[in-house]
Amino acid sequence: MHASSPLTVDKPKRLAWRQPAVLWVILAVIPLVAVIAFAVLQPVKVRPRIGLAPGYAFTDQNGEQLTSEDMRGKLVMYDFTYTNCAAPCLQTAAAMHDVQALAKRMDTAGLLVELVTISFDPEHDSSEQLRRHAAAIGADTDNWHFVTGAADRLKNVIGGGFGVFYEPDGAGGFTFDPTMVLVDGNGIIRAIYERTLPDMQTIERDLNLVVTEVRNSEGPGKLVYEAAHLFLCYPGS
Amino acid sequence: MSADMGSQTMDERPATPTRHRSRWPWWLPAAILLLVIGFAAYRLIAGGSATPQYGIAIDSPTPAGDFTLQSSRGAVSLSDFRGKPVLLYFGYTTCPDVCPTTLADLRMAMQELGEDQSKVQVLFVSVDPERDTVERLGAYLQYFDPNFIGLTGPLAEIEAIANRFGVFFQKNVVDSAADYLIDHTSAVLLLDADGKLRLMFPYATTGKQIADDTRLFIR
Repeated sequence: MHASSPLTVDKPKRLAWRQPAVLWVILAVIPLVAVIAFAVLQPVKVRPRIGLAPGYAFTDQNGEQLTSEDMRGKLVMYDFTYTNCAAPCLQTAAAMHDVQALAKRMDTAGLLVELVTISFDPEHDSSEQLRRHAAAIGADTDNWHFVTGAADRLKNVIGGGFGVFYEPDGAGGFTFDPTMVLVDGNGIIRAIYERTLPDMQTIERDLNLVVTEVRNSEGPGKLVYEAAHLFLCYPGS
Repeated sequence: MSADMGSQTMDERPATPTRHRSRWPWWLPAAILLLVIGFAAYRLIAGGSATPQYGIAIDSPTPAGDFTLQSSRGAVSLSDFRGKPVLLYFGYTTCPDVCPTTLADLRMAMQELGEDQSKVQVLFVSVDPERDTVERLGAYLQYFDPNFIGLTGPLAEIEAIANRFGVFFQKNVVDSAADYLIDHTSAVLLLDADGKLRLMFPYATTGKQIADDTRLFIR
């Protein structure tokens, strides 16, 4: 160390950081590192804005109209089924039930959470039948709506808008992909749970992500969340 | 040991001839960095950044699909406007307040775009095909901007298109059967030059805001 020190003293190393060339590199690198750090570390996670949820007007279990506009400003979980769907038919009702319980104990900062079950079997699922079904699965119909409508509109909305496959199986039942869809207050699809039934931890995490984002949708916090969308900071599935 | 070294160098420094090869002061890049950060922050907050500010952006846009409806210029398809961003709005000509307000906002947006307005197309789809003929639509839109195109067609078809774009509408009979209003979702949608749905402007987004975001999609 001592031997080499007289040599190092004269080297420009000590002053290197003061050289404009080095500083110019730092100048370019700092924002780049900041951007990469944000994209890699993903300090803020968001649910993606997947697409527009379809507009609709259907009839609920009380024979009253329910429209997509009624759901504006609220967080809505949709599922799609028919009430005659009995075992071994895969149902999303149990998961919806858990979502309803979850929404009750979760702090949503005043954001209303609603559930909508759309039946694609209007022939059998009258308002009365939907009411019976709601009671049978123990749904609290304060914020859980059971709706159906004309067959062609259902196809447009469920098949076209939500992208959920269903088809009569020729034996009075339906073949369908059990799916749940989370839609935000702007009518934008934020999560699609399909094929396998989602676990509650995933749903709870997703609801919390959307609620937190809505809570930060004003002021400078919005920029951070927009950046998170830009850098695809999505939670793993 | 290192303290020795430090004091040694410090002592020697005044004796060393200056090594600044550049005439630029060392703090200039730092000052520029601060300026750049300040400017970027200002741009982000005051608007005009490279990302949309006012419309709600779809994260992974997919093609919105096509449709063909009638206008006063004949049949018009959404795909006719590939290469141009399209501002799509659903309303009707006898709409009392919401539609004229939004159409005025769209006219403002086009004026704001100035010369670039020819690179953007506004489409107005009627949710009242019963009363809104192509002639009526054409005459109505003249009041706002002669380049706006009004579209109409069979009710079922319009309903399917509207639903697809997240729009709900229905007749709301006020008192007599002859006079009715139509309740409808009021949002302006922006499709990019490839026909992908990119932004949703909620009701009451101003013309300037729509223009600022739309400009980012002009080719």
